[in-house]
Amino acid sequence: MGSKAKKPFIVIVAFVMCLSMTGCFDKREVDDLVNPIAIGFDKGEGNSIRMTLQIAIPTKVAGGGDGGGGGGGGESVSFTTVEAPSIYSGLNMINTYVSKQLNMSQIKVVVFSEELAREGIEKYINALIRGREFRPNSYMLVARGTGNVAERYLRAVEPELESNPAKYYEMVLSAYRYTGFSANTSIINFYKNMVSESTQPLAVLADISQFENSDDINTDNSTYREKGRDYPLEGDFKAGDMPKVGTIKSEIMGLAVFNGSKMVGEFDGEETQLQLMLEGNFGYSFVTIPDPLSADNVVPLNIRQNRNPKRKVEIIDGKPNIKVKVFLEADILSIQSGINYESIDKVTILETSAEKFFEKGLMRMLKKTAQELRSDTAGFGKEMKGKFFTWDEWTDFKWIEKYPDSKFEVEVDFKIRRPGLMLRTNPATGTEEGEQ
Amino acid sequence: MEDKVIFGKREVISLLLLFICNQLILGFPSIMSNSAGTAGWIMTIYVSIIALCLFLIISKLYSAFEGKDLLDIGEFVGGNIGRIIVGLIVVIDIAFIISIKLREYAEHIKIISFTQSPIDFLVLFFALGMIISVYFGIEPLARSAAIFIPFIAIGIIIIVAGSIQNFELSNIMPILGTGSYDIFVGGLPRVSIYSGLISILFIPPFMGDIKNIKRIGILVITISGTVLTLGILAYLLVFPYPTSSNTALPFFELSRVLEYGRFFQRIESIFLLIWSLTGLIYLSCGLFIIVYVFSKAFKLKYYRPLILPVAIILSTLSLIPKSLIEIMYIDNRIIRYYSWIVTFGMTLVLLTIARLMKRKRGGITKNGK
Amino acid sequence: MANFKKLIKDIFAFKEPKPQEEFILKEKESEKIDDVSNKNEKSPVKEKKGFIRSLFTRSSNDEKDSGSSDKKNNKLEKMVYVSKDITENIDYLKKRFSIPTNGDIVLREFDILVKDKTISACLIFYDGMVNGMLINLNILQPLMLLSNLDIKDKGTENKNISEYIHKNLVTHNQVKVSREFDEIIDEINFGGCGVFVDGIDIAYACDVKGWQHRSVDRPNNEIVIRGPQESFNEVLRVNTALIRKILKDEDLVAESVSIGERSKTPCSMLYIKDIANDSLVNEVRRRLENIKTDYIFDTGELEQYIEDNTIMPTPQIIATERPDRVASMLTEGKVAVIMSGSPFALVMPTTNNDFLQSAEDAYVRFPYANLLRVMRVIAIFMSLLLPGLYVAITNFHHEMIPTDLLFAIEASRERVPFPSVVEIIIMEFAFELIREAGLRVPSPIGPTLGIIGALILGQAAVAANIVSPILIIVVAVTGIGSFAIPNFSLGFSFRILRFVYVFLAAIAGFLGITFGLFVQSIYLCNAKSFGVPFMAPFGPKTNSGYEDQFFRAPIWKQENRPDFLNTKDTKKQPKISRQWAKSDKKRGK
Repeated sequence: MGSKAKKPFIVIVAFVMCLSMTGCFDKREVDDLVNPIAIGFDKGEGNSIRMTLQIAIPTKVAGGGDGGGGGGGGESVSFTTVEAPSIYSGLNMINTYVSKQLNMSQIKVVVFSEELAREGIEKYINALIRGREFRPNSYMLVARGTGNVAERYLRAVEPELESNPAKYYEMVLSAYRYTGFSANTSIINFYKNMVSESTQPLAVLADISQFENSDDINTDNSTYREKGRDYPLEGDFKAGDMPKVGTIKSEIMGLAVFNGSKMVGEFDGEETQLQLMLEGNFGYSFVTIPDPLSADNVVPLNIRQNRNPKRKVEIIDGKPNIKVKVFLEADILSIQSGINYESIDKVTILETSAEKFFEKGLMRMLKKTAQELRSDTAGFGKEMKGKFFTWDEWTDFKWIEKYPDSKFEVEVDFKIRRPGLMLRTNPATGTEEGEQ
Repeated sequence: MEDKVIFGKREVISLLLLFICNQLILGFPSIMSNSAGTAGWIMTIYVSIIALCLFLIISKLYSAFEGKDLLDIGEFVGGNIGRIIVGLIVVIDIAFIISIKLREYAEHIKIISFTQSPIDFLVLFFALGMIISVYFGIEPLARSAAIFIPFIAIGIIIIVAGSIQNFELSNIMPILGTGSYDIFVGGLPRVSIYSGLISILFIPPFMGDIKNIKRIGILVITISGTVLTLGILAYLLVFPYPTSSNTALPFFELSRVLEYGRFFQRIESIFLLIWSLTGLIYLSCGLFIIVYVFSKAFKLKYYRPLILPVAIILSTLSLIPKSLIEIMYIDNRIIRYYSWIVTFGMTLVLLTIARLMKRKRGGITKNGK
Repeated sequence: MANFKKLIKDIFAFKEPKPQEEFILKEKESEKIDDVSNKNEKSPVKEKKGFIRSLFTRSSNDEKDSGSSDKKNNKLEKMVYVSKDITENIDYLKKRFSIPTNGDIVLREFDILVKDKTISACLIFYDGMVNGMLINLNILQPLMLLSNLDIKDKGTENKNISEYIHKNLVTHNQVKVSREFDEIIDEINFGGCGVFVDGIDIAYACDVKGWQHRSVDRPNNEIVIRGPQESFNEVLRVNTALIRKILKDEDLVAESVSIGERSKTPCSMLYIKDIANDSLVNEVRRRLENIKTDYIFDTGELEQYIEDNTIMPTPQIIATERPDRVASMLTEGKVAVIMSGSPFALVMPTTNNDFLQSAEDAYVRFPYANLLRVMRVIAIFMSLLLPGLYVAITNFHHEMIPTDLLFAIEASRERVPFPSVVEIIIMEFAFELIREAGLRVPSPIGPTLGIIGALILGQAAVAANIVSPILIIVVAVTGIGSFAIPNFSLGFSFRILRFVYVFLAAIAGFLGITFGLFVQSIYLCNAKSFGVPFMAPFGPKTNSGYEDQFFRAPIWKQENRPDFLNTKDTKKQPKISRQWAKSDKKRGK
């Protein structure tokens, strides 16, 4: 094995060489960096963008140093807005006056203003995907309204349950698993759908609440009238329109629908739930349906999707014919009218009415995507893709252009599994007042 | 050859697996997706089967030369000159591949995590590891490979298993991708992904008996074929076609979207450990083969003095290409297209000639059997 | 300048390696004999080749054949019954107990005078295991002196002389009379004294057990909860007796070797004759006999004289103070060296896995032992890599820190003036300092000082903003991890390497750590301990012997001895060691 003394010598010399070569090039201490947690893009003058960074202040967030104890001592975030021709030039500008180097690896959400989104955001998405520091898992948001809405939205985010706004974003944007009012719109998904020939991207809608106090609350902006309902259900809103007041101003509800990289329309909460059902991503959620036998009352149900939907696409006369069957299960949460829907014979009434309700909603939503938005949000093109053998045949088929002519057949399979803790609603007993 | 080392089947298989499968974490998946679209995985299976067939032919021809390596066969065919020619061809081939891969590994690591470091600093790390490990010989290297391979496998499995939630069957959907011509005819030169197999023909002197070679070869091709296919399948299932063909670091991209709950996000840096480990073992093994073949071809008594100069030459060569784009072009268009010529072409020709000569000679001595 | 030039030349210029004889553990006894006979024909290269090949490709048939032929060679003819002829008995005893080589056996020959008749006799016992006074007073005295007294009962005179000696002469309380050699020898192995008398075909085994009890103490360093609580002391014979007491096997040989030209320190090399590989025993003997030094005091010094590689941080010989541990390793086919004046026995060869095992692993049940093993491996990785990983992550790979943790680290580091490398080196140094000082401080205040010192130091350092609190956690966990390593020397090696990893991480983050791991593994795979690859059975994969390596199989599954030791007898127990389970099943049917 050679002369024994030489071996370690070489190793040591090599190490010394190695050490002398190094300047610890990439070494950056944690406290030399500043971590923005959200980034917003608004339309600037001409071609430029107005970029807003929400920066967490670690000492405030983590309560470290000697300032600890009272966590609510001050603002845990700071904001800065800059107008720049591109994302990276903006970052460079910010770096000049923020004392620490920006590190984008903790960015949780990317917010685009509606104006920018309607113009097309392809160039920004490409920049975000190409950059190593931006996370492909960050959420895509579109802020509704005109003007600097992205900045307005970010400034309105004031988490109360968390000291760390990053956690707020993570929690609130993963809430779709139990509300169904938003969706998982990570940048990577957005990008994949944007360049895909078979489906179209979506982004979560965000806005700040328009009501200052309870007296102002109205449902003028609700979509219930378009749907032909007498009163709004919980899904008939979009972000910002929700009839609510409170210290939490920021709202997330509904989806922005894109065609290519351009925003073309919006989904409200209910349509978002239906969109999730079509994708098979609907977790569980409380859904209210009208009582089939008593018009004034509603039946709230806890709905789950335990099986993926069956989706089928056929081409009839050059036009796509899309068949969907959605499987839903539900637990009864309450029956306002007190009608005994729990019983074997009456449960089918509720089930068929729920099936009708969802079928109607799905039909309306699909027609809207095809005719109004002309965007295949549910990705039926993916089913179509399998019918082709080679890629060229598929791209020549031009699904995206054919989709608006689609015909739809929707079927919902709805089963009520459990009635909750009560097997029957007992009516309240008491004397009727006013008779005497 | 100071020490005649002999190591076991397991070590050999580990080394060869690393030698072949390391491309999974380089550009391989996106190259496959580039050339066959959504059918990259079919192409991988097809190429593996072709490589298996070629190897069976080689091992059939080789069976007459038990315990000899390619250089001995070269000597058998063309005397000293034959041996030197074979040796030089192999050395140049492997040196070219290794220097490109050295740069590729360094570039990838640079993109992943060391954006500010100069490239020669990163190359130095790999070169240093190569020098040290080859200095100790192939035996500890093979043993380390056998020890590390479970960890590398676990890393790959974590990536693949973690991305199952992102799988979408429709992503591989036009099942034949860019067309059967592209796969089955255009894909033929892609058999070069098994160019690492050439090292199996230098193992016999380190191994026990010949039967192992055939078994090991088949095993290695099967396992690496499976690994490569599964890897590219996972990649294609996550990234739809147009996206999948233009990522620079496919497996890194795959690991970037991994998410195990809210805490275990962004764990891709952990895979840096696995990737640089694979790179170190692979590159060291390549360096060893170069040095070993060179010293044997020229009948040098020791290979150790060659290590330092060869390593320096390799790292210098690796710094010649101007950019990552050029490197990827060379890797994709030259190495993965033409390296089969040496691995399969030269070997087959050499073995056929040797076989014929042997039969002739044998026929003379045994009076026509 | 000239020196420097020479140094550079030494490093870069190639020198032909000096041919160095390297010991490699031979596989089989029969093969070895072949080698000796063919020494002139075979080149050393070929020998090596044969060996390594045999390491990997081995046929069990071969093994069995050579094993059985071994036994024939070694044991010669086995005497079942005690012979009437005492010289025959003595010859056999000498062979059986390997008497000239085996130093702690005493064979005392004497004469019994009965009525002008001289009957020669002998007694045999292990020195250190018997009570000498008992033998003197109760066995030797009556036989040598009192045999000549007038015996009252004349009627018995013509009776059996053996009966006479048993009933009338030996004034000892426990005497076993037997015709069978094995019974007597078993008794001798367990601290008895065998008495053989010429002319009679029976022997007496007197129970004179008398090994040292009092001075045998509880182990201080290798503490177990379950298992024997004895440790070696400084007396060589007591130590050998402690092992012999556990093993009770006459094939256990304690060869005497003296080391030190002036000191002539007695050492004992223990091995089990028909298990340990002969070439291994020869190699250990060769190394022990070829130490040229004036004085030697402790096995710690001896270890440094006989180990393979001095610079390698990892120890290559295991030092233990537990006789049960030595005994169990001897049964695996290893060789132990005990030295007079040292309470630590050295056991060799050692592989990486031996250092990860504690004596207790064998005594606790199968699931518990495996939990301990896993914990230990995690502890090792923590103590080796944690500071390095911390430096790498906080300096190079921030993105992988979860957001909340990142903000916590950032906040805690906000007021610390040092870079994190300096910070961690300060803390590690302080920790090592406390550890060393705690050891040297007089014992009553030692532990308290250590703990309080660590606490106060940590607390104050954080309060003074010299280090961040998260770093204290890192250093503390590292420290705890290093205490969980069962072997003291191995813990040492990790303490050194930890700093290397911190430096590597500071240079190039994870890439540096990977580089370190790679080089370390190459280094370890290259190392050998007495001809056995250090990373065996994982470095070179061997066929069998995995039952007690990384994980521990249930005890009844541990059928083979480790393959890499190339023992003469490869089986520890039959395939079915729990015979009751088998018979129960049959009964059930």
